[in-house]
Amino acid sequence: MAATAALSTRLRNRRPALNAFRKAVTRKPGRLIGLGIILFFVLLAICGPWFYGSLAVDPNAIYAAPSADHWLGTDFAGSDVFQEVVVGARYVLSTAALAALFTSVLGITVGLLAGYHRGFLDSALMRVTDFVLTIPGLPLLIILSTVWSFGSPWQMGLVLGLTGWGGVARAVRSQALTLRERGFLEAARGLGLPSRHIIVKELLPNIAPYVAMHLLLSVIAFIGAEVGLFFLGLVPFSSTNWGVMLNQAVFSGGAMNSPDALVYLLSPLVCILLLTLGIVLFLDAIDELFNPRLRERA
Amino acid sequence: MTEVQVRDLTIEYQTSAGWLPAVAGASLDLRAGEITGLVGESGSGKSTLALALLNAVPEPGRVAAGSVEVAGVGDVLSLSGKQLRKVRGGELGYVFQASQNSMNPLKTIGKQLLDLGRSHEVKDLRALIARAKDLANRMGMDGDRVLDSYQHQLSGGMRQRIGIVFALVLNAKVLILDEPTTALDMLSQAAVLDIVRTVHDENQLSTLIITHDIGAISEIADRLAVMYGGRIVEDGPLLDVLRRPTHPYTRALIGATARITGDVDAARALPGRPPDLTTVARVGCVFRDRCPFAVTACADTEPPLVVGEAGRRRACHVEPSTVLSGTPGTPAAVGGQP
Amino acid sequence: MTGFARRLAGKLLAGLVMVWVVVTFTFFLVHALPGKPGDVQYESYIMQGFNPEEARAKVTAVYGFTSHDPLFSQYLGYLGRLLHGDLGQSVYYSGVPVSHLIWSALPWTVLPVLTGLLVSFLIGVIAGVIAAVKRSSRWGGLLSVSGSLVAGVPSFVLALLLLLVFHTEWHLLPDAGTSDITLEPGWSPEYVGSVVQHAVLPVISYALLSYGGWLLAMKSSVITVLGDDFILASELRGLAPVTRARYIGRNAILPLFTVLALSFGIMFAGSFFIEQTFDYPGLGELLLKSIGVRDYPVMAGAFLLITVAIIAANIVADLCYTLIDPRVRR
Repeated sequence: MAATAALSTRLRNRRPALNAFRKAVTRKPGRLIGLGIILFFVLLAICGPWFYGSLAVDPNAIYAAPSADHWLGTDFAGSDVFQEVVVGARYVLSTAALAALFTSVLGITVGLLAGYHRGFLDSALMRVTDFVLTIPGLPLLIILSTVWSFGSPWQMGLVLGLTGWGGVARAVRSQALTLRERGFLEAARGLGLPSRHIIVKELLPNIAPYVAMHLLLSVIAFIGAEVGLFFLGLVPFSSTNWGVMLNQAVFSGGAMNSPDALVYLLSPLVCILLLTLGIVLFLDAIDELFNPRLRERA
Repeated sequence: MTEVQVRDLTIEYQTSAGWLPAVAGASLDLRAGEITGLVGESGSGKSTLALALLNAVPEPGRVAAGSVEVAGVGDVLSLSGKQLRKVRGGELGYVFQASQNSMNPLKTIGKQLLDLGRSHEVKDLRALIARAKDLANRMGMDGDRVLDSYQHQLSGGMRQRIGIVFALVLNAKVLILDEPTTALDMLSQAAVLDIVRTVHDENQLSTLIITHDIGAISEIADRLAVMYGGRIVEDGPLLDVLRRPTHPYTRALIGATARITGDVDAARALPGRPPDLTTVARVGCVFRDRCPFAVTACADTEPPLVVGEAGRRRACHVEPSTVLSGTPGTPAAVGGQP
Repeated sequence: MTGFARRLAGKLLAGLVMVWVVVTFTFFLVHALPGKPGDVQYESYIMQGFNPEEARAKVTAVYGFTSHDPLFSQYLGYLGRLLHGDLGQSVYYSGVPVSHLIWSALPWTVLPVLTGLLVSFLIGVIAGVIAAVKRSSRWGGLLSVSGSLVAGVPSFVLALLLLLVFHTEWHLLPDAGTSDITLEPGWSPEYVGSVVQHAVLPVISYALLSYGGWLLAMKSSVITVLGDDFILASELRGLAPVTRARYIGRNAILPLFTVLALSFGIMFAGSFFIEQTFDYPGLGELLLKSIGVRDYPVMAGAFLLITVAIIAANIVADLCYTLIDPRVRR
């Protein structure tokens, strides 16, 4: 009875979730800053390349110091570092976004199927999930980098997603099991709802924020992995991005020993740091929504 | 002899609406050899009151006024640090609401008893263990086996009894049980209550049982105190209060319990919801919204807890006879104070 | 104790199955990779100015022993040799056993990883306790954010920043290798000192890598335990503060064994970046190098070893948990 009542209240008002979210985000300035940083980079990735159609190369200014013309100086070829950072953001962020997309589609599907059906399907799917979780993702990526070229964000995103869905699947399953235990599913079934409706309309909205948290965490890991692959020089440099910049700065530019290339090295480093900081600060808000125990007293 | 004297105790909690009282001006005596039942719905402040007896009001609460005098100790609310620690578990034995999980899951019961002994600087730990085994045996358990067990190896009823062993092993004179029967099935409930009665009598304790289940308590208590909205609204000798409830809330509470009235059909649920910290009335009687006898005075004057005949106290504007007769809304009752 | 033995056997069996799956997976993956082993070498000979026939002949001379058996019988053979601890022979360093290459690279990964793990565990757990107890204060909040940030930032970013500060800016520590190359390896104080000096930055990098994980896990664990009934109970029974701290500590640290296995995986993944950044000749660098020259057996061997290490860490963590928690022991 109680579960049915809870269900119908939840059906009636979906807004409160949104309100709670807004409250959680605005409660601490750090979280707003985090959201701001994320939005800034997203805008940079979307709009940045509109301003810079192609990289301007100035052969007369190689490793130039920051100036009015070149805000962050230039690199080994005389390209403007600021432009590179802006253009590079698109590859990095779109790859991470696509990887998150693939991860969530795979992870949610597997997790929901396992959690909803249980039995044989559940244990089979969980075996596979265990396997994906156990295989070390990065070494695998490194080996795979010899087969696939990760030039387009689609390819890189797909591979990252394929190696990274295990955590989400497990989280979704355990969440689905919890809802089941709370009599949520029985209540929905008692109301005569078809299981497609239950999964899509009832389970999914309840799991969504939980998944969002896991996704944000994995986005951080995805950014690290993709930039890292370029940094290691394992992937052909088909596009401008932060990883290529790091690789060039460290292994060709000798940034560690010559101050000329320092800004060239620091620019992508700071971008990654900032973006990570933004996501971490923002995660704090989502974390609070899900772990009321962590909620501090007002 | 009065072991514990609670006087004008007010406990406030900090909320977004400021400091609000969870217990307001409560006074209560616990006497040696007497079991007092403290009954109330959830949110009535009964657990907060019980914790205050150990000066253990949880954050974000504070004791705003009042005292808790324990014989041979003084005002517990003025103690702190090591002195307070020694009184907890020493003079005052507390059995937890969630006694099911009141043990460290990683240690055997025996080792935890030793921890307790060391913390209270007991010289003769062997005697302590012997006493614990004796208590356990007398509560119908195998003391040796139980002390070698982990919490997860014991049943709910056994854990509850172990909770009592922990509360009494240091020779506490005051035993406080918070919802001792809530998580148990009917048979274990009866067994645990029997055991409480036995150890109480054997050790001449002052026992306070906090519960929402007036039916369970009516089987073993000597006195009954009823709490509502942070106030003690009525108390007195158990049988007297059960037979002649003179506060509308007590009457309703008894009426809602088939176990006492003996007639399931006659049991009536009390309409409305119990108040919580934020919804409890700030002015006037806290029960008036649900009270069938409410009169105009109830809206603006809070009735004081007044001593009546035969050790009874009540806080109500309505005449006792009116409440007893059960015909609400009589105009004669207006302003009536005993 | 029989329950424990049965659990151990079960875990080992599951681990072995997992290893077998990984071996199979690796074998077929590596053989599906494009480019024959000699291709890279062939191209480099062409670049050096040899004409195609000469280059082909040279490559065949070096890689002549490449098997032409059907894939499945190669697989069976590979499995059989693995059972005897034989990981095959390197193609690039012609004829050198893979196990030899791995053995010489292993210490340079395992020692810094373990040291870093120990350091980060000690600091992270203590910081986690502080972050939990002081969670409503500004410092507690900052500590938590520092943990999440360090856990989130990619290892190479950390390593590069360390290098910039301690090598480029302050000239305190060396930037590459395992020791001063002018020194003779041995137990001489100079050589050992140099090794330690070269290991400082990699160890700090590894420590930072898992510090955040320990901190966050310990924080949430302590918060959970602090809310447990038995902690309130122990307070109301007047247990001494030291005893209560012990109760909290032991219960809070239990769930961290799952983090141990997780950390291990993160560390091995990080070893690629950290070894590459500090030019440290460990397992990660071995795998990277072998990929550069398409040295299949070394690739497969290094990948297999990393996976086995992670599976082993999972088993060890699980057993530690079992030993400490009586509820699981039974």
